[in-house]
Amino acid sequence: MTFGQRKAHKYIWLTLAIAIPAIMIFATKDLNILPSKKIGKSNDLVTNKIALKIFENDIVKVSLFENQMEVILKATLKNSSSVIYEMNIAGEKSNTLGQLSTAGIYKFNIKNLPTGIIISDDLKMEESTKFLF
Amino acid sequence: MGLDYQLVLWSKYKKSYDKIIVLGMLLYIIIFAGVTLIFNTETSVETMIIRAFGSLAIIMLHIILVIGPLARLNTAFLPILFNRRHLGVSMFMAALIHGGFSVFQFHALGDINPIYSIFTSNMEYGSLSNFPFQVLGFLALLILFVMASTSHDFFLGNLSAKVWKRLHMLVYVVYVLIIAHVFLGAFQQETSLFTIGLLVIGFFIVASLHLITAFKESKIDGVKAKGKDGWLKVCSVSEIEDDRAKIFTVQNERVAIFKYDGKLSAIHNVCKHQGGPLGEGKVIDGCITCPWHGYQYLPINGQSPPPFTEKVATYELKIE
Repeated sequence: MTFGQRKAHKYIWLTLAIAIPAIMIFATKDLNILPSKKIGKSNDLVTNKIALKIFENDIVKVSLFENQMEVILKATLKNSSSVIYEMNIAGEKSNTLGQLSTAGIYKFNIKNLPTGIIISDDLKMEESTKFLF
Repeated sequence: MGLDYQLVLWSKYKKSYDKIIVLGMLLYIIIFAGVTLIFNTETSVETMIIRAFGSLAIIMLHIILVIGPLARLNTAFLPILFNRRHLGVSMFMAALIHGGFSVFQFHALGDINPIYSIFTSNMEYGSLSNFPFQVLGFLALLILFVMASTSHDFFLGNLSAKVWKRLHMLVYVVYVLIIAHVFLGAFQQETSLFTIGLLVIGFFIVASLHLITAFKESKIDGVKAKGKDGWLKVCSVSEIEDDRAKIFTVQNERVAIFKYDGKLSAIHNVCKHQGGPLGEGKVIDGCITCPWHGYQYLPINGQSPPPFTEKVATYELKIE
């Protein structure tokens, strides 16, 4: 390498030695690094409130409160674009509550207690789970 | 060193290295698939392919980035440097499979142009936790494409070594883009202390090796020969081994003084091919031979033997 190239390499790596750790820190500072801790912490909150109804299967644990629905997704869903819907009395999708992606706790505001829920991927037209309370 | 351009200038060693690259890549994909099938049964085949080839490309990029400084610190790594371009093209292939499947799975099934969709499906450019990280991966893939498609000696010869080197130093931009792609993307969706730790350790190793090498080279650049009457006193003849050279810094550039057949020659230390350190090579068949890719120059005038046309600068010597 020429002197110029050696100098360029040196300054590039001095810059990267500062820039890359900065990216890493800013990107991870809001992340909950330990998922188990995250769920445990939220479970404590759940126990402080009295759920009106609870349903649990292999995929989710759903707790209904007066104005809120808490969904604990036990494992990341195979379908990346899964959406959770309220189910009406006819057993069909009614209101859209939100999207589910990775394992964790999701909270959705509700106006009325739903009859049940449906989790489905509308792109692939696949239902992950569906149940009545 | 060949007179005509060939798609690949195969040699026994190159074939061996390429077999190691292909087998290594296959082995990684098989192990990744096996571990995924055992521990993450919910993962779809498409997702498994995306993750397997994405992680493979990142591992290969780290290996590529450490080869240069390792070869500067220890000549035992020179044979790997010789084959680095094949590793680079293989890494691009892995990244292309990762990117291709990702674009197909997340952007190709709608009615919007998939490339347009990459840039517009998520417009939260101001957010860290929801940043459109796929854009970063796409830009990295574009740069890798340019680098892989110009990696051949044809482009090196026609673009000039200086332009080619600058173009291929974009690998550092790729590294930053990929680190940001992973940290602002994959980790936001599926946080794993293990994989974050691996990338942090990888960065620490890559950056440390580059900085150690850079400071070592700066120290060598700082050593100046003493001048007298327009001449620089460098060393005594007995300090130079036969068919080898000693390297000195003259006005910030390095000059290699070779001893061969009882004669001495001083030439610019930088090979015209990829900037290899000629003074770390040796005289083979009467020619100074670059330790990186075997380019040859006549010690007396710095000219490549005919019909080659490369020439490096020579310097006058005086023995007292």
